[in-house]
Amino acid sequence: MTVLDMRDIRKVYRSGDIDIVALDHATVQVDHGEIVALLGPSGSGKTTLLSIAGGLLTPTEGTVVVGGHDISEYNAKQLTEFRRENVGFVFQSVNLVPFLTAEENLLVVDELGGNKGGKAAKGRARSLLEELGLGHRVKNLPGQLSGGERQRVAIGRALFNNPKLVLFDEPTSALDTKIGEQVMELIRTEMKARDTAAIIVTHDTRMTHYADRTVHIVDGRLDAGTVTA
Amino acid sequence: MFLALKEMQRAKLRFGLLAGAVGLLVFLILFQQALLGGLINQFIGALKNQSADVLVYSDQARKNLEGSIIPPDQLAQVATVEGVADAAPLGESTFTVTAGGEERDAVVFGYELGRPGAPTTLIEGRLPEQGGEAVASEKDRADGFDIGDVVQVQPDGVEITVVGVARDINYSVSPVLFVDFATFEAAKRTRNPDATTILPSVVAVQVASGSSPESVATAINDQVDGVEALTRQQAVDGSPGVSSVRSSFAIILGLFYLVVPLVTGLFFLIVTFQKASALTLLRAIGASSRTLVTSLLIQVVVVMLTGSVIAFGLYAGALQGVKNLGVRVEVQPVVITSLVVLVLALVTSAIAVRRVLRLDPLSATTGGGVHV
Amino acid sequence: MNLPLLELRRQPSRFIVATVVLSFLATLLMFLGGLLDGLYLGSTGAIRAQQADVIVYSESARDSFLRSRITSEQRAQVEAAEGVEEVGGIGFVLLGAQVPGETDIANVAVAGYETPPKGVPAPPPDGQGIADTRLEDAGASTGDVILVGPQQTPIEIIGFVDDTSYLQQSSVWVNLPTWRAVQNANRPDSTVSDDIVQALVVSGTGDLVTSIDTATAGATSTLTKDDAVLALPGVKQQGDTFNQIIYSTLVVVLAVVGLFFSLLTLERLGLYGVLKAIGASTRRLFAGVVLQAVIVAVVAFVIGSLLAIGAAAALPAAVPLQLTPARFLSTFIGLVVAAVLGSAVSLRKVTKVDPASAIGNAS
Repeated sequence: MTVLDMRDIRKVYRSGDIDIVALDHATVQVDHGEIVALLGPSGSGKTTLLSIAGGLLTPTEGTVVVGGHDISEYNAKQLTEFRRENVGFVFQSVNLVPFLTAEENLLVVDELGGNKGGKAAKGRARSLLEELGLGHRVKNLPGQLSGGERQRVAIGRALFNNPKLVLFDEPTSALDTKIGEQVMELIRTEMKARDTAAIIVTHDTRMTHYADRTVHIVDGRLDAGTVTA
Repeated sequence: MFLALKEMQRAKLRFGLLAGAVGLLVFLILFQQALLGGLINQFIGALKNQSADVLVYSDQARKNLEGSIIPPDQLAQVATVEGVADAAPLGESTFTVTAGGEERDAVVFGYELGRPGAPTTLIEGRLPEQGGEAVASEKDRADGFDIGDVVQVQPDGVEITVVGVARDINYSVSPVLFVDFATFEAAKRTRNPDATTILPSVVAVQVASGSSPESVATAINDQVDGVEALTRQQAVDGSPGVSSVRSSFAIILGLFYLVVPLVTGLFFLIVTFQKASALTLLRAIGASSRTLVTSLLIQVVVVMLTGSVIAFGLYAGALQGVKNLGVRVEVQPVVITSLVVLVLALVTSAIAVRRVLRLDPLSATTGGGVHV
Repeated sequence: MNLPLLELRRQPSRFIVATVVLSFLATLLMFLGGLLDGLYLGSTGAIRAQQADVIVYSESARDSFLRSRITSEQRAQVEAAEGVEEVGGIGFVLLGAQVPGETDIANVAVAGYETPPKGVPAPPPDGQGIADTRLEDAGASTGDVILVGPQQTPIEIIGFVDDTSYLQQSSVWVNLPTWRAVQNANRPDSTVSDDIVQALVVSGTGDLVTSIDTATAGATSTLTKDDAVLALPGVKQQGDTFNQIIYSTLVVVLAVVGLFFSLLTLERLGLYGVLKAIGASTRRLFAGVVLQAVIVAVVAFVIGSLLAIGAAAALPAAVPLQLTPARFLSTFIGLVVAAVLGSAVSLRKVTKVDPASAIGNAS
């Protein structure tokens, strides 16, 4: 079943008198449990695509349906709520709240939704962190964690609300190759275990074999995609 | 220069807030200094702005004019002390007077014409030349103390004609009339007809050229019994009420003077920290430490000057509202205060300057830019 | 779990600058307010203590005791006026006084009265007086004989009463004949005869101001107690001047909060982007900034209060500084309001943070 269904997406930015087409009739579907790698040079439009898929931007044209919600016409407030409940994000480096412990960085998702969470949420955060191999790090602040550990906490946060779709923006760019591979391995395991759909933006071809499919993007246009795993 | 001003242009709100805060603080300092000066002048302006270098009180008076009486033999003794060029009687008393058709309290100072004890801040008219003439305090012009007005001293109506006005010669927050000593005597006698002689309150001493008021005051204290000789400044500082007003304002002004450099210094420190990576980049592409430090200092100066201009505007406006305190807009205190706070701000900016000097251009190439 | 509170607790150093500056400003606010209150209370005590509804001056007195004279005929007219129930004569004379064993001259206001003010017993016998506690601070004690004015008129102090000073001078409450004797001996230029008082304190019902001034055919100027307080020399101007300084200082607080919190916000733009991306609303983030500003203001209030209390204790008694609970409360409210308004400066920045900025952002 399709979790993300983007059809004929066009995104045009206006810069002075010139229209810049960031995405041109892009169409992509991602199914349950499917991991798609989005590969392209900088400026190709992969950031824009990811932003639209996650409800951070609205498209100029086309429709976006995530988990049955058509978010193409959502206003900012609806999008905020949509993101909180349906999408998980893992960013490049600015990811965690620096003054919160690993555990609290997961609970922040609940806090932002105005839920008081309580014991149940705390238990879920702990078991998630343990699952990610961070059982001994729950009370540590981000500053006390290594780069790889920080990305693992970020993955935990992205999964905390059981989203249908998780979006990864260059999750390994700040890591060395070995740690990067460990993180990719973990992402794959977690996504598959939860049957969650994922898009991973990367420019590192060494990471693409962790995905089920690789989609190339050049100048705002997508190719059909190649099955990689 | 270019860098400094460009940055301020891009962050108008922040630098505007800083300049606004500095402006208000400098304004408050100026305003309160003016208030303090105005208040003190109202208490003891007459002492401050009269011509005697040394005032000799009776030692019972505890530096209070009201309680001081000098008998003739003490006056004569003071006159013989070395360094005293002239020693004249100076009388002070509070009278009920009728001025501008109303009864009110006024303080009358009697001095011997042409001798020490005359007002020194005449701004219009002339000094008294005969009995029945007076120089009045400028602040009270509108209340029946202007040149040409006739003031009647109660209870018997001794008439005094105002022939001049002088600035800042109030005493005890009351209008003041400087008259010749004989007129003072006459006024006092109507109040106490049985008195055989009217005694002066203090001796007004002019010191010989080459002598300092301090040494002459010391000499008088050593050689004349029963008196306390004070320089003009000591007499002002020791007057009742002056020290409590001064100490209250000293704390307030001290705190304000502390807050200005604190706000500016810490602001520039935080800003410097925030743009450390940009500054490092500038160093890497060849900007010298000197350029960056100059740029920082230019910003401090621009902010402080803008603040001072704002302060001057507020100050000039606010003083219109407290005219009855006898305070005036003067440029000199504005310039001095602005310079003081500018120097204080530059001193506290030294911490930010140190941060700039510690920047290592090498670190720009080794990444180091990942903040979590 | 509360994000803004956790940040304050775990990264207090970020807030030190604002807290230190605001603490000094809070001290200043309390100090200025305390001086204003001290001047006000010290000037007006003798009138505030009157247990009367109105005060009757002579018409030409411009509402000043020292200029006012009420004759026995006028007093009879006032007593006959509609609604008047109780009438008492009152008179003040401001003089220096020698307190036994003290070197400094104390300033006193010898006050003759018939109707006792709050806390004062019925008028004492001739030559005795009940002094304000200010005179106790100046070294006097019960049983002392103080020597008043140039003529050194003796008055024996038989007790003390709180908060009745007049124009910063310690009142000494005496009977009317004693007051007249002191006035006539020490102020020969403004003597009073036996049937004269300076003013009347009157209690009763109805519109006393109108009924009294009508009954005397305009020979009197009657003021309510509150108006009489404001008519005292300097009280209104002092209030206006100090309040102007206090309000300006509050604007400085506002600017300082605005300044330092906008710098903090600037540092947090990246974080705000991430938080918005994962579902935080602008409202929630901005509420956090306001909450932090308010807490900083509250902490500054506490530190400032302690500094002000310390400074007040260290100052000589001559400084008329009085720290009242009402002043603490108004300073607290002023600081909090200024903090809220100041933090609003950051609203635009917080609003403008684009959740999409979290993506494709390397640092």
